[in-house]
Amino acid sequence: MAGAQPVARRFGAVLPLLKGVVVLAAVLLAVELLVIAFDIRPYVLPRPSAVLEAILRTPAAYRDAMVRTGLETLLGFGAGALFGIWIGIAFSRLRFLRETIFPIFIVSQTIPVIAFGALVVMWFGNTILAKAVIVFYLTFFPVTVNALLGMRAVDEKQVQLLRSFGASDREIMRKLRFPTALPHIFVALRIASALGLAGAVVGEWFGDTTGLGVLLLQGMYAENMVAIWASILCSAVLGVAFFAAIGLAEKRIVFWGGESA
Amino acid sequence: MNMPMTHPSTMEPAMTPAEEPILDLRRLSKTFGEVQALNGVDLAVQPGEFVTVVGPSGCGKSTLFNIVAGLEEPDAGSVLRFEGQSVHARQLLGQVSFMPQRDLLLAWRNVIDNAILPLEIEGANKAEARAEAQRMLPEFGLAGFADKYPHELSGGMRQRVALMRTFMFKRDLMLLDEPFGALDALTRTMMQRWLLDVWQKHKRTVLFITHDVDEAIFLGDKVLVMTARPGAIKLSRKVDLPRPRGADLVTSPEFISLKRELLDAIEEESMKTFGPASH
Amino acid sequence: MKRRSFLSTLGLAASTAMLAAPAVQAADLESVSLRLKWLPQAQFVGFYMAKAKGYYEDEGLDLAINPGGPNLLTENLVATGADTFGLSGGTDSVFAAIEKGLPITCIGISHQETPFVFVSKADGPVQEIADFKDASITTWFTGANYVLFGMLAANDIDRTDMNIQPQQVSVTPFVDGQVDVVTATRYNEYYTLMQRVGEENLKRFVPEDFGVSFPRDTLIVGNDFAAEHPELVQGFMRASVKGWLDAFADKEAAIDLIMKEAPTLERPHQEFMLDEVEKIMLAGAAAEQGLFTIDMDAVSSAHQILVDYDVLGGPIDLEAAFDSQFIDAIPSAERLPE
Repeated sequence: MAGAQPVARRFGAVLPLLKGVVVLAAVLLAVELLVIAFDIRPYVLPRPSAVLEAILRTPAAYRDAMVRTGLETLLGFGAGALFGIWIGIAFSRLRFLRETIFPIFIVSQTIPVIAFGALVVMWFGNTILAKAVIVFYLTFFPVTVNALLGMRAVDEKQVQLLRSFGASDREIMRKLRFPTALPHIFVALRIASALGLAGAVVGEWFGDTTGLGVLLLQGMYAENMVAIWASILCSAVLGVAFFAAIGLAEKRIVFWGGESA
Repeated sequence: MNMPMTHPSTMEPAMTPAEEPILDLRRLSKTFGEVQALNGVDLAVQPGEFVTVVGPSGCGKSTLFNIVAGLEEPDAGSVLRFEGQSVHARQLLGQVSFMPQRDLLLAWRNVIDNAILPLEIEGANKAEARAEAQRMLPEFGLAGFADKYPHELSGGMRQRVALMRTFMFKRDLMLLDEPFGALDALTRTMMQRWLLDVWQKHKRTVLFITHDVDEAIFLGDKVLVMTARPGAIKLSRKVDLPRPRGADLVTSPEFISLKRELLDAIEEESMKTFGPASH
Repeated sequence: MKRRSFLSTLGLAASTAMLAAPAVQAADLESVSLRLKWLPQAQFVGFYMAKAKGYYEDEGLDLAINPGGPNLLTENLVATGADTFGLSGGTDSVFAAIEKGLPITCIGISHQETPFVFVSKADGPVQEIADFKDASITTWFTGANYVLFGMLAANDIDRTDMNIQPQQVSVTPFVDGQVDVVTATRYNEYYTLMQRVGEENLKRFVPEDFGVSFPRDTLIVGNDFAAEHPELVQGFMRASVKGWLDAFADKEAAIDLIMKEAPTLERPHQEFMLDEVEKIMLAGAAAEQGLFTIDMDAVSSAHQILVDYDVLGGPIDLEAAFDSQFIDAIPSAERLPE
C-alpha cells in the first residue's frame, strides 16, 4: 500500500520543476541555433553557450549572487505573505481598519520602488534587511487584497451553518473563512513571488556589493551583454524555482482545487 | 457540553397531551423591509415528533427555519418558546441541529472531519469525536469513505455526510430544510426510508421542510401546510399511518386521500401567488 | 535529508549575511563609511587598496566602503549622516548640493580633467568641432550636456537648432551609425567603443582642448563630522592618497583586489580603466601638487558654465564649498608617484 503511491507522488512533485528545466534547456538551444543561423552580433544577443561559459568562469560569484538575491526575496516574501494574510484577516473582521488603513496601503503602492528604494537605503543602510523591506513592500499588498477578497468570497450559507453550531467569529475565521481564502491567497503568492524577485534585484541597485541586481548593473554599465544575460539567466532560474515551490505548496495545501463546495 | 437527550420514554411518536412541546411558536411574524415573510405562524412540536412542513414556493419556509435555527430574530410580538422557556432566536444558536438545503460540506475536510465539525466547535475531544463518527459511518452508508473528500463523493453521499453531521450534533430538535431536494427520484426514495430508520433508532424530534407532498406524508407524524406569503399555517393534519413505513404505503387509500386534501390546500395557496390579482 | 541540507544552507547564508555587516572592529577605531558613486571597479581601487593595507586603521578609522548605484545621490547620503564620506558625482553635483543647502563640503577632487570625451568616427562626417553643427549627437543630460554646451559656446557654435538627444545606456546607436557623436567616459564607454569599432576608427574631442574643464569624482564629507573630527578627516585623506599611490605602483595587485571584489568584471577592461583613471587623476594641477588637489581655477570655470546656463540659480560660495585644508596639509611630494 505504501509502495507505489508515495513514489508517484514524489515524482509528481518534481515533475513541474523537471518540465521547467527541460523547457528552459530547449529555449536556450533554440536561441543558440538562431544566433548562429542568423549571425546575430554578440552585443545584440550573445550565444547562450557564451553566457553559460561566463557563469562557469566565475561560478562562485553567480552562486553567491543567487543565494543573496534568493535570500532577500525569501525573507521579504515570507514577511510580506504573513503580514498580507494577517492584515487581510484583520481587514475582513474590522471594518474601521479596512476603511482607514486600506486607502493608505493603496496610496503606498502608487509610489514606485525606484523612488522608495533610496529612502530604504537611508533607513536600513546596505543590509539585507533593506532589500527584504523592498521585497516586503512589493509582496504584502497583493496578498492582502486577495486574502480579503477570498475571505469575503465565503458562502454565507456556510457561515450560517457554522453559526447554528454555535461557532464564534474566531472559529468561523479559522475553520471556514481562512481555508476558503487559501486558493485566492495562492494566486497572490504567485504574483508576489515574481514581483518580489524583481524588487530584490532592483533593491540591489541602491548600493550593494552582492546579488543578481549588482551583476546586472555592472553588466549594463560596461555594456557587457554576456554578463547582462548571465544575470538575467540566473534571475530566471531563481524565479522559476520560486514559482515552482509555490505551485508545489499550493498543490499540497489547496488539494481540493479551490472551487467552492 | 453534550446534553443528555430528553426523549420521551415511549417509543411511539404519539404524545401525551400533558407533555410540554419542545418547540412552541405563537403569532410568529417576520418582516424584511417592505416584505412580510411570515405572518402569525402558530406551530407546536412535541418531543420525538416528526413534523413536516409543505407549502408553495416563496412561502417563507426557509425564514421560519432560520428563526428556529437562531439565525434571524422574529418581529416584536412573536412568541418563541423552546423546551418550555421563552427565548430570543439567537439563544437557539448551538441548541438546534440545523441542516440547510445544500450539504455545505467543507471542501478541505474529509468525510469524518466534516461530520465532526459541530462537535469540534463544541470543544469536544477530536479523537473521541472521530472514533464516534467512525462507528456511525456504516449506518449512514458511508463505510469505507472516511478519508474521502467531498469532491470525491456523489450528491447522495454528500447529503448523507451532511445528515450525519446533523445527527452528530446531538440536539433534541433537528431542523431539516429540503435535504433531499437536489437528489434524483430514486436516490431520494432510498434516502427517505433510510432517514426514517435512523430517526427511529435515534429518536430525535424533527422539523422537516419539503415542497414534495409525498415526502411530507411518507415521513411525518404531522404535516403542516403553509399559506402563500406572508406565510402562516393553513392546515395541520396528523398522519395516522403505521410505522415502519414501506414503499407500498404511497398506494394505500389513506395515503391517497390525505395527499388529495393536502394538494388541494397547496394548490389554493399557489393560485394566490400566480393569480391575476398579484401580478 | 535533501530539504534539511538546503534549509541549513539557507540558514547559514542568512547568518553569514547578517553577521558580515558588523565586522570585527577594534574598540578604539571610529566607525565611518565611504559611499562611492558607483559599484566596485578600478575607478575606485585606491580606496580598496588603502583599506586592504590597513591604512585607514592606522589613522583610527574603521572604514566601510559602500557602493553607489544609479538612483543614489551620494551628497544626500552624506548630508543625512547615512555615510561619513562620499566620492560623489563631481563639481557639478557639489554645486547643486550646496545650492540646496546640504551640509557637505568637498575636501578633494579625484578627476582633475573632464572624464568624458565626445567621440565621432574617424571616417565619418564629424572631423572637427564645427561639424557638430549638423551632426546628430547624444549626450547624458546629467552634467555632460553642459560640458558640450560649453564647448560649443567656446567655439561660437549656436546650438539652438542642433540635434542633441539624451543618450541611453548603450553606445550601439553610434556603432550602428544612427548617431554621429556619442559621449563616453574615458575609462568605460570609450573602452566599449574601442572593442566594437577599433581605436583607429575613432576620433576624440577632449573638452580641455576646447577650453572647457569639468573636474569630477569629488570627495565630500558632512560639515558636522568635519567640525567635530578634523583629525579623522585628515587621516582619511592621508590613507586614501597612500592607497592610490600603492595602486598605481602595483597595478597588478590593484586589479587583483578589484577582481576579488567583483569577480564578474572583465579584467582587461579594469586594467584599461586604471590606466585611464591614473591619467586624469594626475592631470592638470595634480601633476605638480599631487592627488586630490582642488584646483580652484578649474572649479570656478565649471561653476561659471553652470551659472551661464542657469543650471544654478546664481553663484554659490565656492570658498565655503571647497575646502583644501585637509589635502594641502599633506605635502605634494607625498601625493605624487615616485
